[in-house]
Amino acid sequence: MIGDIMTSLWAILPVIVLALWACVLLLVDLWLPKDQQGSQQGESNSPITPLLAALGMLTSAAIVIARIGQPTMGFGGMMMADGFSHFICLLLLASGLVTIGLSHDYMKRLGIARGEYYVLLMFSLSGMMLMSMSADLIMVFLSLELLSIPLYVMAGIATPRPSSEEAALKYFLLGAFASGFLVYGIGLVFGATGSTSLQQIVAVVQSGNYNLALILGGAALIITGLGFKVAIVPFHMWTPDAYQGAPSAVTAFMSVGAKTAGFAALLRVFVLAFPAFSADITPVLWGLAALTMVLGNFAAIAQRNIKRLLAYSSIAHAGYIMMALVPYGQDGLSADSVASALFYLVAYAFTNFAAWAVVIALEQAGEKGLELQDYAGLGRKHPALAAVMAVAMLSFTGVPPTLGFVGKFYLFRTVLEGGHVGLALIGVLTSLVSAFYYLRVIVVMYMQEGEPEARREPWLQAMAYGSAIGVVALSIFSAPLLFLASQAVLKLF
Amino acid sequence: MLPIEYYTGLSVILFTLGALGVLIRRNALIIFMSIELMLNSANLAFVSFARSYEGMSGQIFVFFVIAVAAAEVAVGLALIVAIFHTKRNIDVDQINSMKG
Amino acid sequence: MITVSLIIFLIVAVITLGSALMVVTARNLVHAALWLVVALFGVAILFGLLQAGFLAVVQVVIYIGAIVILIIFAIMLTQRNALEIGSRFNENWGWALGISALVFAALVWAIVSWPGFHVQAQPLDARFDSVAELGKALVASNGYALPFELASVLLLAALIGAIVIAWERKPEER
Repeated sequence: MIGDIMTSLWAILPVIVLALWACVLLLVDLWLPKDQQGSQQGESNSPITPLLAALGMLTSAAIVIARIGQPTMGFGGMMMADGFSHFICLLLLASGLVTIGLSHDYMKRLGIARGEYYVLLMFSLSGMMLMSMSADLIMVFLSLELLSIPLYVMAGIATPRPSSEEAALKYFLLGAFASGFLVYGIGLVFGATGSTSLQQIVAVVQSGNYNLALILGGAALIITGLGFKVAIVPFHMWTPDAYQGAPSAVTAFMSVGAKTAGFAALLRVFVLAFPAFSADITPVLWGLAALTMVLGNFAAIAQRNIKRLLAYSSIAHAGYIMMALVPYGQDGLSADSVASALFYLVAYAFTNFAAWAVVIALEQAGEKGLELQDYAGLGRKHPALAAVMAVAMLSFTGVPPTLGFVGKFYLFRTVLEGGHVGLALIGVLTSLVSAFYYLRVIVVMYMQEGEPEARREPWLQAMAYGSAIGVVALSIFSAPLLFLASQAVLKLF
Repeated sequence: MLPIEYYTGLSVILFTLGALGVLIRRNALIIFMSIELMLNSANLAFVSFARSYEGMSGQIFVFFVIAVAAAEVAVGLALIVAIFHTKRNIDVDQINSMKG
Repeated sequence: MITVSLIIFLIVAVITLGSALMVVTARNLVHAALWLVVALFGVAILFGLLQAGFLAVVQVVIYIGAIVILIIFAIMLTQRNALEIGSRFNENWGWALGISALVFAALVWAIVSWPGFHVQAQPLDARFDSVAELGKALVASNGYALPFELASVLLLAALIGAIVIAWERKPEER
């Protein structure tokens, strides 16, 4: 009995550490000296809180790394710490660390530096990590809420700035709406099988003692609920406003973290529990992926605001990742499907952080410096930042030698192996369309004249260069990363 | 005792009403109330399914949904009140400073 | 065959759906909140009819006692007059109706094919103590101890978040 509990706790130790660390940090932050000058209410300029938060994430990451190769199951099969969750957790923790680097000076600059920001970041991160381990729909739902609720607040942390509040309200209302769908979907799956545990759902499905229509209805509602979180069309309407209005560092975290966690849950639930229904579900996923890629890319063309452009680009990339899910139920392809989705998530994360780091560097007070035209002349004035942005744009487009290219390569290969030539074709064509607006950013930076102003903040620059170097270096030495991703097979114990 | 179908049928109608309210109304508070209706309909579906399986797990899920609803209401209403302080308005059709 | 429980069910169902409809259509926000109370109370009675007494109590205490009260607070803090000015509905109401009808049709299709649909529920064994079972399940490590703890972390995060948002915000107003 005791041994049982210890194994269970051991399985989720990285998350326990992170959540407890967040609670302690909340208290520690109260005793840290506050900056006296211009002391806004509750504003903290001390670098100790972000450093401590980063330390907590590093500790958690160290535990995850120490456990690679030892899959454990806990809480009666409710949680699975396996290769898949380790991979996702490390990606999420890395995103958290980069977000701290992006936020520290940015929050100070905006006058909204608060210790609670980092606490909320850690809570959201623990929700995301739990989501990647959940093997029970109850846990999927609860961890989705734990990741979303702090994100709603973080999007609105620049209150009373109207755009930030507006972003938070829209994100909140649509997010709560999506949870309604998710809960009802879980209810239908429960009605069809009599259980919310993925293991038992699989057992019931194998015994044939279930109801097809209810399970399909449930799966559709679960796709809807999680589709809102990962921003696939037609559940994307909140994305442009929320991404534009939220503070840029929060948007960077939101676009990577929430998407990674949402796709982790989609992959685990569908690959584990619903492979038997792929004949019915695959066409739906096919349609959603195609719709998302087409709409996301075409809508991005018209954008002049860089944050909005990146928002539509993130919708489009949700479509590409969705593509990996399409052949999830085919024999022998589910492992490839998971591996290429994970690889693309890493590529997306690195590229996205590189792009957002440049956006943050160029953002001026009062939401200035966010138009495409403000990037004119960046190539001459700040060649390093322009190079980072150029690398990010090339990687988004999928041009070698960048991670985006390698990611798309594996993605298209998986889709073609699954026999979905049409979908792969749509993917390639929309990538060509996307080249138009991504390359326009590069053209503006290098070919037009202007006097852009950029911040020189050491952490921000480190994150920008680090991500850009990662995008290029990991594409050349992609074998280890792909090996790790291919180890992350989803299976029941 | 009544057939379970009565309860599940009722929950479907309630869910649709809630979804309709979210899609159709302009006031953020009414939208929020409609979301509560949706969560309640899901709870009703859970309890009725749980009743037919005579197990505990359906009821436990409802317990957690109620806890989550309480958490959402705290954050959501704080946001709605905050946006009212800035804009003097909680009409989602008029809260659209960003365009594109 | 018309039984007492059927009559009770029909009355509660009509009241619940009617008040839910009023929530969705009411012009006056306070009225909407009060109709919400009625709808939630109806759901609580349905929980009782389904022999989930504990959940019926939780529904009344948390939903009506806490959540709706908070909503009414928010209404009083945000509305100078509780009436909505202008149209209650947005311009896309046609779409909204269409999507809702679609969702409704899909759900009905899913529910109707359920085998348990026509099954008459048997009364639970008198020895089946659902509150004790619920309590045990919530703390058992191979039961629902982890979601229970997670819910508490979630509530903590929500509390911190609400305070961060509602923090004294405008220096010039101090």
